[in-house]
Amino acid sequence: MWLTSKIKQVLMVIKPGVVTLNYPFEKRPVPENFRGAPYWDHEKCIGCGGCANHCPARTILIRDICQEIRVMVYDGSRCTYCGRCADVCPEKAITMTDRYELATDDRQDLNESMELFMLTCQRCGRCYDMENVNMIDRMDLQGYRYDNIEARAFIRKTTDRFDPEMLKKTADYKRPSKIGE
Amino acid sequence: MNSLDKVLKALQDKFGAGITGHASPLPTRLFINIKAEMVREISNEVVTLGGRYLVGIGHDNIARDGNIGMIHTFGFDKDNFIVHLNAAVPGSNPVMPSITPDIPGAGWSEREYQDLLGMKFEGHPKPKRLVVADDWPADIFPMRKEVPYNMVPPAAEDVAYQLDECPEGCSIIPVGPFHTALHEPEHFAVYVDGETIKGCDYRGFMTHRGIEKLCESQVSYNEVPFIAERICGICGSVHATAYSQAVEMAGGIPVPKRAEYIRSLLLEIERLHSHLLWLGVAGHLIGFDTVFMQSWRVRENIMWLSERITGNRKTYGMVIVGGVRRDITPVIGEDILKVCAKVEEEVKIIHKSITGDTALHKRTKGVGYLSKEEAIKWSLVGPVARARGIDIDVRRDHPYAAYSELQFNVPVVDTCDVWGTLVVRLLEIYESISLIRQIIAKMPKGEILTELSEEIPSLKHGISVVEAPRGESVHFVITGEENRPDRWRVRAPTYPNLQAIPAMLLNDQFADFPIIVGSIDPCFSCTDRVEVVSVTSGKKRIMSKSEIEFISRGNR
Ligand code: SF4
Ligand code: SF4
Repeated sequence: MWLTSKIKQVLMVIKPGVVTLNYPFEKRPVPENFRGAPYWDHEKCIGCGGCANHCPARTILIRDICQEIRVMVYDGSRCTYCGRCADVCPEKAITMTDRYELATDDRQDLNESMELFMLTCQRCGRCYDMENVNMIDRMDLQGYRYDNIEARAFIRKTTDRFDPEMLKKTADYKRPSKIGE
Repeated sequence: MNSLDKVLKALQDKFGAGITGHASPLPTRLFINIKAEMVREISNEVVTLGGRYLVGIGHDNIARDGNIGMIHTFGFDKDNFIVHLNAAVPGSNPVMPSITPDIPGAGWSEREYQDLLGMKFEGHPKPKRLVVADDWPADIFPMRKEVPYNMVPPAAEDVAYQLDECPEGCSIIPVGPFHTALHEPEHFAVYVDGETIKGCDYRGFMTHRGIEKLCESQVSYNEVPFIAERICGICGSVHATAYSQAVEMAGGIPVPKRAEYIRSLLLEIERLHSHLLWLGVAGHLIGFDTVFMQSWRVRENIMWLSERITGNRKTYGMVIVGGVRRDITPVIGEDILKVCAKVEEEVKIIHKSITGDTALHKRTKGVGYLSKEEAIKWSLVGPVARARGIDIDVRRDHPYAAYSELQFNVPVVDTCDVWGTLVVRLLEIYESISLIRQIIAKMPKGEILTELSEEIPSLKHGISVVEAPRGESVHFVITGEENRPDRWRVRAPTYPNLQAIPAMLLNDQFADFPIIVGSIDPCFSCTDRVEVVSVTSGKKRIMSKSEIEFISRGNR
């Protein structure tokens, strides 16, 4: 029993031989629909904020610093590479690239930020394509956003009109600290 | 044969005024409102009628009616339905009788809500802390709605968990929180008499992440599946599916047939990789590294296949509420069948070469013995239960996704030990492969996602059970007002299985400790060092802990 088992085991091991890849010198090509680091195309993005609203990791932040300029920051250090942002983007501005060797000793290397020039709609402040979105998305797609980019905090406060007061208030937002510290 | 009406009638006849209401939104679900004082008698009766304890769900309803609710759930596996006993106690004095003395499997659920909601269970045999840290303030109950999700109370010095009394004449061997035989931080105090284990106390939940609280207070319905997927690094799709199904049940959201097939496909692929992974780990734990290397080599084919189907090796990110995100194209279908054929052939080789190995028999036969009666008492699930003669499998007993239309066997053995677990898992690999073939052959055409077009109504209850590779996962959802669950309760399969570990260890040799604990396949995902390889020169250097710390604090 024991001996036949051992012989079978030896055969099992010999047949495939060495299968270990000589990584990192030899890389396995990634499949075509691989979900690597997301990449934003600022030419295509309309700044609707859909990606930020649907990111499970809350790692896409939006801050309107004045009526016309919207800053968007993607902080890759928290990204889970789920690709949800690329799915929901109405303009296909986000692509999941094939980059996966992302280790770095500087977190800033993982970030991407865009400053978008936004048009002002005279009636509602901001205008998006309201026809093709469902009820839940519609609740999300509104107005001005005031996340705190420095603190990497997704605050999700929105207003109908640009509100400098709110901008100031959320700029003071601090991450939770221990009571008594 | 039992039926919902029969169970309800039996309970009404026996307890009359103790039953205050009932509802049955689906033919397979029964919600019974009961008086909290009678919970013990009624649960006992449900178990006598054939119910198997699943999980307890505590939920804070203080803002609505001043009550804290506790729901005990029982599965009737032969008859495919689930009974919920809904009890409520006032938030000012949340005391109710404990059901643990009769149903030991409920022990952790009750201890959990003692910690998280401040409930009291009268008569609980071991009312110690379970979930929250030892220095967590005694008057803050994190799952109550008024406690913010990001609260960080100050740490306290000199508080430690009080271990159980060591039995007469035994010595204590501490295993963990960090130990080479364990893959995750957890602490076992093992009481030994010589080499023989006489008892054990467990303190875990050291990496409790507060996922339920986070999802109840921060994100919205369709982001939770991605977070749910990260509950476990091995059976992620299971959690995403279970959560989505619970929401779909609560909200009455239809799921396209094709999406159900794709979900089943993912679950089976996941089972394949998980069983091979476990087989390797089990081999490794008993010092049989050939099995480890070979089964992981075979497993790699499945990982690469997942990468081609979903875009990643693990955390597939495929399942969302209402369906799935990516379709299975004919090309991928071919690919899946090819990989299945290869894996089946290789698994057969491994299977043949290890079943006769006497060394393996000696290390696993009779080890971790737990009788069938004990196993039922502890509500064991998954391969651990099926190795002890308990014929349960959620895929067959409470069919979900596409399983009602597929044929498969449920391997059951009655050796009641680690060897049995190994056999069950090996046989399940073949069943999974056959299931995958059936799925590809039968998959109907059509949509893969139902868009959520309306708001999901609030305060509806949904429960779903999904057979993960290591047992059943139970997810319970109460829908909320703000486009997110008001309560989401997750019960992973390790939850009941780990509770039975002290019983399995009893009278075994200390050297068998790793494989007994490993036999239930507790989750593991830890990295403890970084190796830096220069691609140009080929030089390797291992970074020390202090270097990693230095960098992770934002220095360069
Ligand atoms: S890939 Fe996922 S986690 Fe990363 S930014 Fe996009 S949505 Fe967020
Ligand atoms: S979803 Fe697309 S268009 Fe909208 S903000 Fe994000 S990247 Fe821009």
